[in-house]
Amino acid sequence: MTGEGESSKASPVGDIEELDPGLARQRTDLAWTRSAISFAALGIVVLKIRPVVGAPVLIFSAVIWSVGRFVRTPERADRADLRVLLVTVAVTVLALTALVLTLLGHNSPGLRL
Amino acid sequence: MREDGSSPHRGGHDEERTTPSTPDADRDGTDGTEPDARFTLANERTFLAWSRTALALVVAGLGVAQLLPPFPGVPWGRSVIATPLILLGAAVSVLSYFEWMANQRSLRHGAPLVRSRLPRILAVTVAVIALLSAAVDLYSRVSRS
Repeated sequence: MTGEGESSKASPVGDIEELDPGLARQRTDLAWTRSAISFAALGIVVLKIRPVVGAPVLIFSAVIWSVGRFVRTPERADRADLRVLLVTVAVTVLALTALVLTLLGHNSPGLRL
Repeated sequence: MREDGSSPHRGGHDEERTTPSTPDADRDGTDGTEPDARFTLANERTFLAWSRTALALVVAGLGVAQLLPPFPGVPWGRSVIATPLILLGAAVSVLSYFEWMANQRSLRHGAPLVRSRLPRILAVTVAVIALLSAAVDLYSRVSRS
């Protein structure tokens, strides 16, 4: 890392990412977990209001969590990359469902806080 | 990311693999060489972060439509705020997928990464929706008095 002389001087052991590339994988695993938790949180809230929509969202959070465990190796890159498409389709379908619910239901009284 | 210009393959934890470049392979994004796993992982994390942003926008839209009390005198007020939020969520989700794909292709060819359009789209649209919300609220208050 000749271009980052400052940082190697500050840290005599060198770049921690070079020493332990597993950290990047760990961060990515955490990002998948966070995404699954986001889906689960939404699923639980929607389950209380509209169980028909909430149950699939909750099931999908489990799917995201389990595909997030999948270890990406160059040999299995194609299958690993399908996960990205899966998340895109899930969020888009959810958005379209939300759009239909919004355009059809004008009469929600809202929460009185 | 690396200013010394060395190969990203020196980590040794990732097998370098070259596949023949065919039009089919280019469409699949499987030509070029498998990049350093860390770059692929960083690209994936960025995509996931945008997906969560998209999810948050959809949730915000749903919240406005379902949980917010109606604006007095403006029956369409909640839909007018919620619909663009949800559409923005759908757009961010789809665009983040295409950016992930473009970045993946750039990484495989050692090409420079394309600058993301998402931050500008997000900032401008959220600002417009904020102004729209203010306008709906103001209209509701003025028409009531």
